[in-house]
Amino acid sequence: MKLIAHLEDLLYKAQTSPADQKLRIRDWRVVVHESQLISLGIKDNAPGSVYTPPGYRQRESGEVLIVWEDGRLSQARVQAVSERNDQSGEEQLRQWYQAAYEDPDGREIPAPEAIPLVAVEDRAVQKVLAGDDEILFAQLSRLLKDRPEQAEMQAEIQAAWGYRHVRNSKGLAVTYQESEYALSFSFDSIVGGGFAKRRLIREEEWVKTWQQTLEYYQAMQQEAAQVTPQTTVVFSPGVADAFIGQFIVPNFIGQSILEGQSAYRVEHFEKQEHVFNEGLTLIIDPLRPFELGSYLVTSEGVAADRTVLVQDGVLKTPILRVKDARRWGTRPTALPLGTSGLYLKHAQEGLWPEVLQEIEDGILILSVLGMHTQNSAAGYYSLSAPQSLRIQKGKIVGKTDVKLSGNFFNDLKSPETRFAKSELSTKPYILVKTGLQTL
Amino acid sequence: MNKDELRELMDQLFKENGLEYIIVRLESKREWGMRLSNGKFERVSSGWDSGIGVQAFTEEGVTGFASSDVLGLEAGLKVIQRAVVLAERNAKIGAESNRMIFKTPQLVEEAVDPRVYPFEHFSLAQLQELVLGLHQRLLKHNSEIAWQTSYRQVEDHWCIGRSDGTRVSFVIPRAVLMHQGTVRENGRAQSTLVNRSGVDVEILLKEKEDAILEKKALERAELAQEVCRAPQLPSGHYPLVIDYGLAKGLAHEAFGHAVESDHIKESVLGENGKLRKGLKVARSGVNIVDGPLLGDWAYQPYSANGLKRETVEIVKDGVLIAGLGDIFSAEEAGMEVTGAGRAESYGYIPIPRMTNIRLLVDQEIPLPPTSTLKEEIQQVREILKEKGELREEGKHLLLFGYRGGQVNPKTGDFVFQCDGMIDLADPSLPVYQPSIFSGKIISALQAIRGGLGQGCYDAIGTCGKSGQAVPSSGGSHRYLLLEQDEQVSLGGEQG
Repeated sequence: MKLIAHLEDLLYKAQTSPADQKLRIRDWRVVVHESQLISLGIKDNAPGSVYTPPGYRQRESGEVLIVWEDGRLSQARVQAVSERNDQSGEEQLRQWYQAAYEDPDGREIPAPEAIPLVAVEDRAVQKVLAGDDEILFAQLSRLLKDRPEQAEMQAEIQAAWGYRHVRNSKGLAVTYQESEYALSFSFDSIVGGGFAKRRLIREEEWVKTWQQTLEYYQAMQQEAAQVTPQTTVVFSPGVADAFIGQFIVPNFIGQSILEGQSAYRVEHFEKQEHVFNEGLTLIIDPLRPFELGSYLVTSEGVAADRTVLVQDGVLKTPILRVKDARRWGTRPTALPLGTSGLYLKHAQEGLWPEVLQEIEDGILILSVLGMHTQNSAAGYYSLSAPQSLRIQKGKIVGKTDVKLSGNFFNDLKSPETRFAKSELSTKPYILVKTGLQTL
Repeated sequence: MNKDELRELMDQLFKENGLEYIIVRLESKREWGMRLSNGKFERVSSGWDSGIGVQAFTEEGVTGFASSDVLGLEAGLKVIQRAVVLAERNAKIGAESNRMIFKTPQLVEEAVDPRVYPFEHFSLAQLQELVLGLHQRLLKHNSEIAWQTSYRQVEDHWCIGRSDGTRVSFVIPRAVLMHQGTVRENGRAQSTLVNRSGVDVEILLKEKEDAILEKKALERAELAQEVCRAPQLPSGHYPLVIDYGLAKGLAHEAFGHAVESDHIKESVLGENGKLRKGLKVARSGVNIVDGPLLGDWAYQPYSANGLKRETVEIVKDGVLIAGLGDIFSAEEAGMEVTGAGRAESYGYIPIPRMTNIRLLVDQEIPLPPTSTLKEEIQQVREILKEKGELREEGKHLLLFGYRGGQVNPKTGDFVFQCDGMIDLADPSLPVYQPSIFSGKIISALQAIRGGLGQGCYDAIGTCGKSGQAVPSSGGSHRYLLLEQDEQVSLGGEQG
């Protein structure tokens, strides 16, 4: 029996005709994800090694939220029903009831709304999971064939496809198919490229990603002049994404703000404080076709919609789940998936190739060590960035090792900070004047 | 599913399986958790995660892998079939073969359950009451700090079987209580996180009695308030004293990863693909050991490939003598097989990695117990001064509170971050903002010159190597002394 069918049946009966009145349910919601995934890899130039063999994974799991008749809540992670773990329905309910707790704000179950049409499934990925996987093996061979002769390559290709089911006691019943595809590769564990969307990579995307990574790798073979305190620091889209994940997402979570654990407070939003550079806008957009952060409905049953978090540098709203929205006195917002679905955009951003030409003295940071160790609420960073690329007179000329120190909130507020659009990523290049030293 | 049911299923799967060589991993994990924030429950949850993972090998030693979260005979046989097909498919693309598993001796063993209290000794409702009580004690002391408390207990049963008849069963129990405090001052926010870990609910009962974690949380929150007011330090090179949490970070990030057998080809501690045994990596008297400790957060008695997990002396008297090898890459990397393969779950391929790593120095300077953290720091200063180890001109920094780290074994660069710093050279013990501690692996090890206080090995974390989250732990003397070194630096303002 499918997990979603088992849960729907169990919860509906406990709501309408429970065998034990103590186990009567007032409201409930369920999200179940059925997925299949295939992965291929290369380790140290060897395809399908013992550490990266072709792999297939099947999962059927989800989460249940129950509001009992006495108003208390239970939450549980659930997984596929098998002949071994098929507890009787009542036994399962009893166990969940034992885990019940008081949380008056957490009881709300959203009523069904119109669900937008968003492209989140690529049929070509479904075919791969159905066995037509030659395309992935061909991509693996291509990576090996094209790699620079002297480079030690690591790579991974993944494709996933499945169903997402969202149900609740207010009548919401949504099932949709979704897919994911991800490619990542690196040369000498120093320079890497990647792609991740809800569809397969296109030929022109492959070529551009490969060429850019190759150019960076070639530049890494030459030592360049050391930086000076005046050198412009350029965060690559990957590094910008890491900064957003470490400093922006945690501080915009409504619950953290309400509980005093964020850099921002409720009054900052009420007063619509100017916290960033005035051309800067930050939005959550789950409606963009085939992006990883796109969806039709949240796991809590809220229909997908765009949310503006920061408009022209001014705080508009935090990220609000159903419970936090109730405490905030407003409706829930869209939710990002990590940093996917979050878009940072400046009104005056140029295209990267053009902006690069204008940089007289810069350093392009491709990766940093230690981002996850930084204190999110303070905004301060102190990072090591070995293997960064030196920019002189508009050209990438070689590598050097640097150390960065600054405050990301100040970077985003500074009028000196500039932004450039990337052709290959949804995140921008960010050009800042920050603490910079040779490592 | 309990251990006996897992074992029964394992035997059935092998009875039905054909001639292919396979490793089967059955896992049944149960978890209860709760989180409180400023006096209220944010979440209480329960959950299971169980499944089967199969690694199949062709005769040539080419591998395929498949997994499913359905634990049952029919589903298991399908998973085996899928893994076999993928192995054959892999052979056709000219994949690298590895026949080491065929040479591994059979092992039939079952580990002792290290728990005092069974998983359900207290009901979830009783646990809520216990954790709420501990959380409220914190609020009573200082309600101006935003406090979060979380508690998790896990019971993770594994059964690993191989076609050679190997059957290994063990349970990994884990429990952890965490307090996180967020303070604000001068428009700055600073958080601090402390934990107490073990294998069962005993940690809650002990905490109720002795309030060790509570005291630590309050002291750390007080220090965090000082950090909010503190200035930044000019970046540069300083003599350092690091607490044992940071020392665990140093041993784990700066060294442990570089001796894992799957990384040797690109590690700074490898040469021509082999571990550089005999290399002098630290001063005489410095030792690094990795191995499972009963009752520890990262305890794992067997590898995920069904081999016994060995305790390994990696560095002895400053010399690199061994690495952490799994069955597949140890020989090629020029090291012994030490059963180092670990996996996040049944759904992942095991890779060599650490369990509990300890960094110790032969000559230990005693550190008598004190009643508060501040007194202890004062005492560290006095002892160092008395022993002639304190640099009174310039700065001599004590780094406290490990916030995590990262390493690139290829380049030898490592970083880790602390909660804050105190200048021991100044009798007023001024506090400074945290900054990244970074450098080159070998330089950091060579800078170690002494240990202060007895060994503390309960610094815990989660290792994220290759995208798999696996519990890690370790430690050192209560404090470790590091010489000033030009290749090891602290970030901060432009010096």
